[in-house]
Amino acid sequence: MSTEAKEYTLPPEVLEETVKASEELWKPIKKVKFRIYKYNPKKDYAPHWEEYELEVSKGMTILDALLEIKGEKDHTLGMRYSCRMGLCGSCAMMINGKQMLACQTRVIEAAGDGDVIELRPLENFPVTRDLATDFTSFFEKHKAVKPWIIRDEEELDNPTGPYKQTIEEYAKYYQFTDCIKCGACLSACPTAATDYEYLGPQALAQAYRYLVDSRDNGLDERIAVVDVAHGCWRCHFAGSCSDVCPRGVDPAQGIQLLKGLIIRRKFGFKPHKPTEALPAKIAKKKEQ
Amino acid sequence: MEEAREEFVEYYAKNMGGVLGWFKARVYTIERWLYGAHRITGILIVLFMLPHFYSTGWHPGLWGDFILGIIVTFHIANGIRLILAELGFVVGKPLLVKKPSQRPLSLEGSQRYLVALALLLFIVLAVIWAYYALIVQAATW
Repeated sequence: MSTEAKEYTLPPEVLEETVKASEELWKPIKKVKFRIYKYNPKKDYAPHWEEYELEVSKGMTILDALLEIKGEKDHTLGMRYSCRMGLCGSCAMMINGKQMLACQTRVIEAAGDGDVIELRPLENFPVTRDLATDFTSFFEKHKAVKPWIIRDEEELDNPTGPYKQTIEEYAKYYQFTDCIKCGACLSACPTAATDYEYLGPQALAQAYRYLVDSRDNGLDERIAVVDVAHGCWRCHFAGSCSDVCPRGVDPAQGIQLLKGLIIRRKFGFKPHKPTEALPAKIAKKKEQ
Repeated sequence: MEEAREEFVEYYAKNMGGVLGWFKARVYTIERWLYGAHRITGILIVLFMLPHFYSTGWHPGLWGDFILGIIVTFHIANGIRLILAELGFVVGKPLLVKKPSQRPLSLEGSQRYLVALALLLFIVLAVIWAYYALIVQAATW
């Protein structure tokens, strides 16, 4: 048996096609003007706009363009990004007036027929600098709804076995687990525009996600947080949160279902009886 | 002066949408437009109620009456849609499998038909009211 690795090459016609497609994707095709919001609250009296012109290609995302601007034109540009593939939610910003992830939006698509792209920091979030915003209160709101499974401490400290969950029970909350906390929903929410204390679509949808989880036993504890003046009843179903969500979480649906759940609870209905822990094989073996 | 500067800086640093944020509907879906319209009509109805409670004999006049009726009919039609949606009847079920670019079910599922129904109800009620206010009622004046 030979130990030589077999060299694998693409057939020449496929290779040529791939190179051609790649060249086409990154070939500069258009000049686009970027209007970027510049503001440093520690130094500046008021924000101002800066304009940069870039040659963009078909495959270029807004984040690529911003990195090019930061590297070659204006190194003082403040922004936040991390994974570059729509998983971390750091680069959410207002692109032509709508909340989007910079890493998932292509420049050509955002510009459309025009050649100007306006970039602003997320609305309803305090500005740290330029396009970067402060998420402290956003995360505090998320923490306020207790986004974890609430059970008796004895069972959590010394688990006796796994919890049983059917696919139907799983389907009730799976959609909401996709949230990446990018803040686009709170930024698009018209209620949050005037109410700083409003919990917001993200936190309320997460509250619903844990309320309908069959393993959870925190119904009363969590409803005490969301069924308040700045809680779920401030939502008037403008639907913008679901419209801008880059992960298809649909927070508006979660909030409306949460309201229905609270009303049904007022009539004595509970969403579920928390499942029992199944006897684990390990525990049985230990006993033996 | 220094205080004024701080307030000014605070305004920009907070970056809140403010009351105008309610009406930034251009880039969003039709529900956002309806939200803005529902707010305005609600505020106008409250404004009408102030003189109305002060003296129930007060009347906004022929055209005022007509406009008030249109405002109220919109608020009723959209209000029925909101009650049904906010109790979770038409927003659909959470999905177990999503498409790569999944659009929200709460907006583009059966709720969209309800939007159409609400607007239709508004138009029907508004036409009936216009006929009553501008033709039947005006004849008795």
